[in-house]
Amino acid sequence: MAVCIAVIAKENYPLYIRSAPTENELKFHYMVHTSLDVVDEKISAMGKALVDQRELYLGLLYPTEDYKVYGYVTNSKVKFVMVVDSSNTALRDNEIRSMFRKLHNSYTDVMCNPFYNPGDRIQSRAFDNMVMSMMVQVC
Amino acid sequence: MAQCVQSVQELIPDSFVPCVAALCSDEAERLTRLNHLSFAELLKPFSRLTSEATTPWFESYRETFLQSMPASDHEFLNHYLACMLVASSSEAEPVEQFSKLSHEQHRIQHNSDYSYPKWFIPNTLKYYVLLHDVSAGDEQRAESIYEEMKQKYGTQGCYLLKINSRASNRASDEQIPDPWSQYLQKNSIQNQDSYEDGPCTITSNKNSDSNLLSLDGLDNEVKVDGLPNNFRAHPLQLDQPSDPSNSIDGTDHVKPASSLHETKKGNTGIIHGACLTLTDHDRIRQFIQEFTFRGLLPHIEKTIRQLNDQLMSRKGLSRSLFSATKKWFSGSKVPEKSINELKNTSGLLYPPEAPELQIRKMADLCFLVQHYDLAYSCYHTAKKDFLNDQAMLYAAGALEMAAVSAFLQPGAPRPYPAHYMDTAIQTYRDICKNMVLAERCVLLSAEILKSQSKYSEAAALLIRLTSEDSDLRSALLLEQAAHCFINMKSPMVRKYAFHMILAGHRFSKAGQKKHALRCYCQAMQVYKGKGWSLAEDHINFTIGRQSYTLRQLDNAVSAFRHILINESKQSAAQQGAFLREYLYVYKNVSQLSPDGPLPQLPLPYINSSATRVFFGHDRRPADGEKQAATHVSLDQEYDSESSQQWRELEEQVVAVVNKGIIPSNFHPTQYCLNSYSDNSRFPLAVVEEPITVEVAFRNPLKVPLLLTDLSLLWKFQPKAFSGKDNEEVKELVTSQSAMIGTEVISEFLINCEESKVARLKLFPHHIGELHILGVVYNLGTIQGSMTVDGIGALPGCHTGKYSLSMSVRGRQDLEIQGPRLNNTKEEKTSVKYGPDRRLDPIITEEMPLLEVFFIHFPTGLLCGEIRKAYVEFVNVSKCPLAGLKVVSKRPEFFTFGGNTAVLTPLSPSASENCSAYKTVVTDSTSMCTALVSSASSVDFGIGIESQPEVIPVPLPDSVLKPGASVQLPMWLRGPDEEGVHEINFLFYYESVKKQPKIRHRILRHTAVICTSRSLNVRATVCRSNSLEDEEGRGGNMLVFVDVENTNTSEAGVKEFHIVQISSSSKHWKLQKSVNLSENKDAKLASREKGKFCFKALRCKEKEAATQTSEKYTFADIIFGNEQIISSASPCADFFYRSLSSELKKTQAQLSVYAEKQSTEDAVRLIQKCNEVDLNIIVLWKAYVVEDNKQLILEGQHHVILRTVGKEAFSYPQKQDPPEMELLKFFRSENTTVSSRPSVEQLSNLIKTSLHYPESFNHPFHQKSLCLVPVTLLLSNCSKADVDVIVDLRHKTTSPEALEIHGSFTWLGQTQYKLQLKSQEIHSLQLKACFVHTGVYNLGTPRVFAKLSDQVTVFETSQQNSMPALIIINNV
Repeated sequence: MAVCIAVIAKENYPLYIRSAPTENELKFHYMVHTSLDVVDEKISAMGKALVDQRELYLGLLYPTEDYKVYGYVTNSKVKFVMVVDSSNTALRDNEIRSMFRKLHNSYTDVMCNPFYNPGDRIQSRAFDNMVMSMMVQVC
Repeated sequence: MAQCVQSVQELIPDSFVPCVAALCSDEAERLTRLNHLSFAELLKPFSRLTSEATTPWFESYRETFLQSMPASDHEFLNHYLACMLVASSSEAEPVEQFSKLSHEQHRIQHNSDYSYPKWFIPNTLKYYVLLHDVSAGDEQRAESIYEEMKQKYGTQGCYLLKINSRASNRASDEQIPDPWSQYLQKNSIQNQDSYEDGPCTITSNKNSDSNLLSLDGLDNEVKVDGLPNNFRAHPLQLDQPSDPSNSIDGTDHVKPASSLHETKKGNTGIIHGACLTLTDHDRIRQFIQEFTFRGLLPHIEKTIRQLNDQLMSRKGLSRSLFSATKKWFSGSKVPEKSINELKNTSGLLYPPEAPELQIRKMADLCFLVQHYDLAYSCYHTAKKDFLNDQAMLYAAGALEMAAVSAFLQPGAPRPYPAHYMDTAIQTYRDICKNMVLAERCVLLSAEILKSQSKYSEAAALLIRLTSEDSDLRSALLLEQAAHCFINMKSPMVRKYAFHMILAGHRFSKAGQKKHALRCYCQAMQVYKGKGWSLAEDHINFTIGRQSYTLRQLDNAVSAFRHILINESKQSAAQQGAFLREYLYVYKNVSQLSPDGPLPQLPLPYINSSATRVFFGHDRRPADGEKQAATHVSLDQEYDSESSQQWRELEEQVVAVVNKGIIPSNFHPTQYCLNSYSDNSRFPLAVVEEPITVEVAFRNPLKVPLLLTDLSLLWKFQPKAFSGKDNEEVKELVTSQSAMIGTEVISEFLINCEESKVARLKLFPHHIGELHILGVVYNLGTIQGSMTVDGIGALPGCHTGKYSLSMSVRGRQDLEIQGPRLNNTKEEKTSVKYGPDRRLDPIITEEMPLLEVFFIHFPTGLLCGEIRKAYVEFVNVSKCPLAGLKVVSKRPEFFTFGGNTAVLTPLSPSASENCSAYKTVVTDSTSMCTALVSSASSVDFGIGIESQPEVIPVPLPDSVLKPGASVQLPMWLRGPDEEGVHEINFLFYYESVKKQPKIRHRILRHTAVICTSRSLNVRATVCRSNSLEDEEGRGGNMLVFVDVENTNTSEAGVKEFHIVQISSSSKHWKLQKSVNLSENKDAKLASREKGKFCFKALRCKEKEAATQTSEKYTFADIIFGNEQIISSASPCADFFYRSLSSELKKTQAQLSVYAEKQSTEDAVRLIQKCNEVDLNIIVLWKAYVVEDNKQLILEGQHHVILRTVGKEAFSYPQKQDPPEMELLKFFRSENTTVSSRPSVEQLSNLIKTSLHYPESFNHPFHQKSLCLVPVTLLLSNCSKADVDVIVDLRHKTTSPEALEIHGSFTWLGQTQYKLQLKSQEIHSLQLKACFVHTGVYNLGTPRVFAKLSDQVTVFETSQQNSMPALIIINNV
């Protein structure tokens, strides 16, 4: 389904980033990084008052020729970015939304681990597996 | 877009200016050439110059681009409006010349050979200029020619320009502003920067008989070479005509490409305008003004009027007619055109005189003179017409200009029609395929949008225009787009960075390396240190490459370094590429400055805190039978427990040497420094002894690293031998091997992601202070990919033949941070680190160096086995050695023999089959009686010294000379516990002459001994009840010794023979063996048990009196035919050792009670009488079969008997590990339990025995009462007076006693009260009366005892358990 899934810390450094075709990792890194601008824009556009009640799912951040980039921001400003192949039309907004929710749940589990140091890179195997499952399904 | 200095309102008029051509005669050209300027250039400085902006290169590019737009047929903005005809006054026939030029111009405009330049209207304005050289020419003549011209062309059509007021070659004293230099210079820079992608080929077009017109491929620059006339195009800019001061600022632009030619041709160092004075400048300025107002503007006005008239006249009739006819015939006409359009993508072509074009022409003129209102409406009309005609190119042009003029309208009556622009761009690009026009349109639109803060739209426009065809254009546009992103209200830094990278990429493809580098560097600021490591690596790598190609090697090195030192997530191949690139660049850097200081290398990592330093030689490997002392080596892991043990041992021996006090400046000797050792002091190293530094390397990469010529880097400060410190510090740096020898490791390979240590040696040959600074090596990698996948692919790991692809020499410093200080408050509150001096040893003078070898040193022993080994002490230094001592925690394990032993240093080989003991052959008769000898413990070094662990080594001369070696016998006794024992020996020695810095040296040895079970000896002692002692002093005991063979057959032991049992005591001695069992030689096979019984006697008083308290009496009872002299070495040695270690244990226990008992003498006394100090030594031989050879092993066990009746063991009783106890918190009560001696103890106060005939015959028929005399012997065992009460009244009340048929009675006094003195024996004569025959137990008297001087009565009935049976027979 997804070709790249990234978790970005509040301070905009990557906590976790994984892409399916590993040979072109650099491209996805650039893509995810650049998408943060759009995330910032979307959050700041909402205004202070609405931030609390806003929906976490940000929707499509921007499309490129081959991919679509979706964003999701938790209340603690941790960003989830998902890059999806444009050719994959089966994925509707709802599916993306549920994938993000799954990702968020898994991320919460990681945070609940008392041995995890908030701000470190995520190295949880459970999280890894979950992400892999979201990336593999389509093929 | 980057902030431009020029506002968009200035930019657009600047870009679209009325164009004027200039045509010069040869002579006129010559005049201007005196100033190294062409005529066009001469007019140039009166243009406005733009100053620096954030991206000046872009503005230059834009400016150049806009000005070099090719004139096209669909628009007229850069068509020439007028032409200047220039001739010189010095010419022979200037008037003729003018007409010639005029013809020339006419020819160029109307001859179809020339498609360029394009002219605005057929009737071009001609303006005649007469150049006059003031310094050379005749002014009169010039004036007259000018008059002639005025008559011919009218005052408004000609001008006399006077220049060159001074001679050219005279050096100018006064500084005249040089407006040209700046302008020309700027142009040339621009050309280099931004115009490299444009090929500047000049295609010569040999055309006519007289003129050669050459067209520049890109710029379409018109130029006439080698002919009297020189064409030059002048775009002339008009400023606000209403402003008088500004109006003269006619800008003169020369197309950059032409100026490029100029600068290339001419010498750039030339001063321009050298012949011009300030007056000349004014004249030129005036000329421009004159030309503009008198010539050009009226001409434009006239043209507009004409066009307007034409249009007005056509509007009513023809235009409507046209459109009407078009509508009528649209069915036939329009499709035809559209087919044409499709074929010819530039769209429909109008003839030059088409009425639609006239509107456009007028609009352009209005635009040029900044009449935007009118221009807009004209463009708008034209646009509609063009669209109707499907003339897309024309329509797009009109749309573009309509949008621009709408924007430029003062007061902005209508909003900027951005969609006009979008349509125009799309049309240009997609339909007309004219990228140049599209680009112009984008540049203008982006600039306009930017001025309206619509940055994202501007960025989108700019990005849309990037394409594959032109890297330079794409790069510039991307860069501007990036700037747009960062200028947004909420800056999009990441988009900025990304587009900067894209721009940098395109720049590098376009060959603009500097710009590429700059872009990447700017993007780097965003990515740096944010954890986007792949992106960061990529940028760093590119920066490195670009810097390298620009020869900014330092930057390149640091960029590459950055990739390598961060924990890289790149693949192995990628890392290999990075590394090779780095090495390559680095090599170039180092080649530039071969003599410079060695640079710091980033790889491999050095874990400097794991650095270990070892002082001394490497351990010699075992040499046959000889086994070297283990000492300290780098192979040993640090173990805090053992290092603490060694430290304690050293403290002990130092305390002994210094008479019990450890000197305040004592520090334990450290031979190996690591992160756990105390490194706060400068370590001491001895000259001529190597120093080994172990450096821990780690390779973070996935490719192997190869270090070659690896060695230490150091600094040495020698100390003068004369003793006086020379103040000037002589500092030497490596490579001077006379002072310090340095070992070099030629090849050192670190595999991928491997941690590896390298041991590097230094050999100090001089005393002084050494500072180890770091390591120096060649860093390289291995060629080929075969090594990438791991160790398996490295068969030549040690053969060391790698094809070293590339390597660079560099260094890495070893800087070790000391431990964090935490003592004072200040240190606690701040973060401070102590020094770490492990790499700064002080080289001191020579010291003796001891080596110790063990010969025949066993690894396995039976428990208690005695084995003789030899120790060899070798002094390998050049200094004599003295004061050799050995200290061990287990002194009972070994001995060098006591002083009494005759020291016969037999060679170890000779004594191989001899017994370890000293023996004397005895005759077999004396078998059962003891042979007595005595020895003092002082002789065995036990007893006086408080530190039994410290044992001086009996060197023959107490000094070991340099190079000398001594072999000493050493007896070992297997520890009593089975298992593996690690026994630490610490050899201590000092130099003969006192060294101030090092007082002593040490050598460590750890022996590992594995012991297996042998015998288990337990012994008890009890009082003998018999009084048949000859001396009659009641001091005899019975000793029972149980010996059990607990050996498991694995050790190959067949059987044990008890050879001899000896006693050793201060007061007691064994007298004889009581049970002479049939097992004479006392063999014990596996799991057999034997029992021995001995009688022990108190030593004779006089003997005891003469003996000092340390004198022990040894008594040997022999079971074989050889007596082992137990009072000699080694038997006595081990006995004393075990005794002292036992004492230590019991003392530790007793000390708890000590003070309590001092208050209670009574109890003490009572206890004392139960004590006995008898020690049993069991000597044995074991017959062992090993490798089909029978061996005889010898050994001894000790049992220390202290208490009567209590069993003692030869081996320490295994105590069950105390169960986990809950910690209880209570005040420990002073229990009174111990104040009352136990019943058992009290019962031993008095020893009683009954003496009576065992059977008594009595004739009962004669006399019915049978009286038997019985003697009761009471002996006081204690050292105090005892009151004794003997009570005979007691009846046996036990049920079994009742069963006895009848009883007996005691006759006479039934109770006796006596006092017995110490050790006194008293006998009571009693009488028993029997009435029947039978067997009776006489043991009924009860004895109560009490210490007589004690108030408290510990009266208790004395033991009388022993049945005393008597048989009464009837006769």
